Amino acid sequence: MIAATLTLCGLGLILAAGVARTMPRIWLGLTVWAALCGLYAALTILLTGEAWLWRGGFALGGEIPFLRLDGISALFLVLVCVVGGLGAVYAHEYWSEHHHPRSAPRGRCWWSLLTLSMGLVLTCANGLHFLFAWEAFALSAYFLITLENDRVEVRKAGWLYLAASHAGTMALFAFFSAMAARTGTWELGPVHDQTVLAPLFWLALAGFGVKAGMFPLHIWLPSAHAGAPSHVSAMMSAVAIKMGVYGIVRFSGWMPMPESAGWAMLAIGCLSALLGIAFALAQSDIKRLLAYCSVENIGIILIALGLSVLAVQHERPEWGKAALAGVFLHVLNHCLFKSLLFFGAGSVLHATGTRDMSRLGGLWRTMPWTAALFAVGAVAVSGLPPLNGFVGEWAIYQGLLRAVAQKEAAAGALPAVIVLAGSGALALAAFAKAVGIVFLGAPRSKPAATASECGWLMYVPMLLLACVIVAIGLLPGLFFRPIMGVVAVWAPQWAAVDPLLATRTLGGVHTIFACVLLAGGFLIVRRIRTTGTRRNLTWDCGYAAPSAHMQYTSGSFAGIARGWFAWLLRPEIMIRRVRGHFPDQAMVLERIPETVLEKIVTPSARVAGFVADGAGKLQHGRLHLYILYVFLGVTALGFMILLGGV
Amino acid sequence: MPIYIDIVLRLLLWLLLAPLLPGVINKVKAWVAGRQGPPVLQLYFDLARLWRKGVVLSTLASPGFIIAPAVAWTAVVTAALLLPLAGTGAAFSFDGDVLLLVYLLALARFCTAWGAMETGSAFEGMGAAREVSFAVLAEIGIITAVLTLVVQSGSIALSSMFEPLSGPGAALLAVGLFIILLAENCRVPFDDPNTHLELTMIHEVMVLDHSGPPLAMILHGAAVKLMLFAVFLAQAVLPLSELPLLISVAALAGSVLLITVAVGLVESLTARLAFKRVPLLLTIGFLFCLFPLILTWMGES
Repeated sequence: MIAATLTLCGLGLILAAGVARTMPRIWLGLTVWAALCGLYAALTILLTGEAWLWRGGFALGGEIPFLRLDGISALFLVLVCVVGGLGAVYAHEYWSEHHHPRSAPRGRCWWSLLTLSMGLVLTCANGLHFLFAWEAFALSAYFLITLENDRVEVRKAGWLYLAASHAGTMALFAFFSAMAARTGTWELGPVHDQTVLAPLFWLALAGFGVKAGMFPLHIWLPSAHAGAPSHVSAMMSAVAIKMGVYGIVRFSGWMPMPESAGWAMLAIGCLSALLGIAFALAQSDIKRLLAYCSVENIGIILIALGLSVLAVQHERPEWGKAALAGVFLHVLNHCLFKSLLFFGAGSVLHATGTRDMSRLGGLWRTMPWTAALFAVGAVAVSGLPPLNGFVGEWAIYQGLLRAVAQKEAAAGALPAVIVLAGSGALALAAFAKAVGIVFLGAPRSKPAATASECGWLMYVPMLLLACVIVAIGLLPGLFFRPIMGVVAVWAPQWAAVDPLLATRTLGGVHTIFACVLLAGGFLIVRRIRTTGTRRNLTWDCGYAAPSAHMQYTSGSFAGIARGWFAWLLRPEIMIRRVRGHFPDQAMVLERIPETVLEKIVTPSARVAGFVADGAGKLQHGRLHLYILYVFLGVTALGFMILLGGV
Repeated sequence: MPIYIDIVLRLLLWLLLAPLLPGVINKVKAWVAGRQGPPVLQLYFDLARLWRKGVVLSTLASPGFIIAPAVAWTAVVTAALLLPLAGTGAAFSFDGDVLLLVYLLALARFCTAWGAMETGSAFEGMGAAREVSFAVLAEIGIITAVLTLVVQSGSIALSSMFEPLSGPGAALLAVGLFIILLAENCRVPFDDPNTHLELTMIHEVMVLDHSGPPLAMILHGAAVKLMLFAVFLAQAVLPLSELPLLISVAALAGSVLLITVAVGLVESLTARLAFKRVPLLLTIGFLFCLFPLILTWMGES
């Protein structure tokens, strides 16, 4: 049954790629159908807990194809299918044939291929084929990011992504071939007994970490996510970077781990969480804000995964299981709310033509659906109850707090709890800013004042995502059952231990909260109906004629926290002050550079280029000098043999 | 006692007693200044009057402007229900409920900031920016205090978490939590709840444009939040759970009253801090919570 649905899914995607250029409606139908098939297969495996294996009877590239879909890969397949399907529906209107006659057909084709290759990455259990699928995935993502290749910044973002992605793939090549050389087979599976493999995990962490966007390997992520069309940004941020997480999760479950791997992941996670959200808060481009927020969420996932690895070493399932459940739930949650937020940002961009928050404002009036759904996503991503973001972070916190209560792994768990609390509060600030500046108040520019709501093809995917977000928040117990199945795949030795997560009680309190809220909201609305309302200008201690330009802007809202992180963010501010009796126009321009890229990677790349240029001068094509090189070389060798006595 | 009667009784207790606290603070301030001051029940009268009044809305405000105070109020009251009251325990108790409490307060903050951003005014935007930024430090402080309690008690549920520290640790934690109480409830020296103009930099400025029943909800929610912090502080540092039931409840009530009087005294005797010093004082509050954590940790191991 699973084999059949997966075949249907794959065939659907291949067919869709075939018809993508000429028949957009059939493409949409096929993509959604394939997504549903894949979702069915993945959910079946999640609910029954039985893995699906298939071994081919022929060789492909010298290796026999081996496919495996178990709990972990099924969970990630759910993400691919959800965003693959909903994003296709969204793109049908957002990136329509009418507005983008040249890039829309190309975009559809690469979308199908990207979905297909990510599905293959998740199912391939042969290292060689995994690498092929990984490369196909990286390339199709590149072509999707550069759909608008007539814009310089998009081309630059695309190259940066490609370079970073291949640097990571290089580490993966080394990783998989070293694995194959040591184990004698390309097939992937648990190899716990071969402790000699442990150091290889660092290669996997680096290679998959680039794709996951963990700090400081995240340099490609902000520009690629901001420059891509919004449905592609959603796919990248919600699913593609999760492929990196998948790799780290997969191999940390299968391989013997180096002693310090858990600590390293915990430290990298803390760094990503705190610095990622600090960068996010300082951005004034809404899509860059969302991109940096992904760095934060990857950090949270890594914190929890690092703790789980420590729990394996300490043999402490009671906190390891809570943290692991948090890892998998947060992977799912982040996919849901981040794709919702990118779809929302895309609607705003579609309606106003700008991503700059300082030119937006007051959009709730013209775009009520987008505003309400984006707000749901913002509450969820800030980890606030009663939505799904809180449930995931709650499980992670429990793992950490239990470790603290048992006074183990303290050097990691204590700072991690404090970092998690701080980054949570910063995320709240970042999203209070995003919602407040973009959707509330008065419009700051003409396009913002005359925007119009997106069509139903764009808001229905957002609505569906919001429904799942609310459902996980109110019924966490329902979703924790399959998640615990996934946990059992990662750590089969803990299958018998009950993690004692009070999800039912939490769901109960959330439901009571929601009911009281509905009742209270009803009460106050009725009360206000009877007492009556008047509309007037914003009072604000007596302004007679407030103007939209007097509102707090995105830069001023983030000012305080940006000051705290100025050592890292290094904001570049250009001010033209008001001078003289008849002043010119005054202005303030502010740019937050990607510090790691612009202050570390680019300068060191320049030094490397300089050295390479110098070395290149040795090769000039003059034969007599080459003969001199050979002579000098032979002389040097002779001296070495004479003096070394070899 | 059936659970729902228990919940209703607790709810009534929180809802009815909370507005008393700001009244007590004002009375203390009046007493120190040699004035007669408003009656202790003044907030009750204010709430009743606001509930009957009409609402003036900004032309920019969305329906969220009315819903946000309702969400914030519900969040604070639910958080209050999670908190155990001395020997009587809590309405609900489960592992990790302390995180729900902290994050419900964060939800209330998000909603207040939302309401402020609705009006499109520079002044209220400023208040929202300050509130969410300073809350980062305050939240770090609260979570550190929670960590201290977790290490001390070995439990992560509120009902069994309050096993107070002894001696210097308890004193340090009390100071740290008191500083955070002042910051989170926007009292002097962080904010001045007396005025409505430039002096009041954070909380009051965010609710300038609210009126009528939503304003009543905001004021009542603020009172519940003050009481919540006072109850948390008292239980974190006093060994109330070891006393007999009635005495422990009386001791809790007495210590909450004492904390309220202390807030009033601080407000009478100190001036509002220069704005740039606010993060510094909050960091000091965080350190006051961090030292007992280290002390407890070293003492245990």
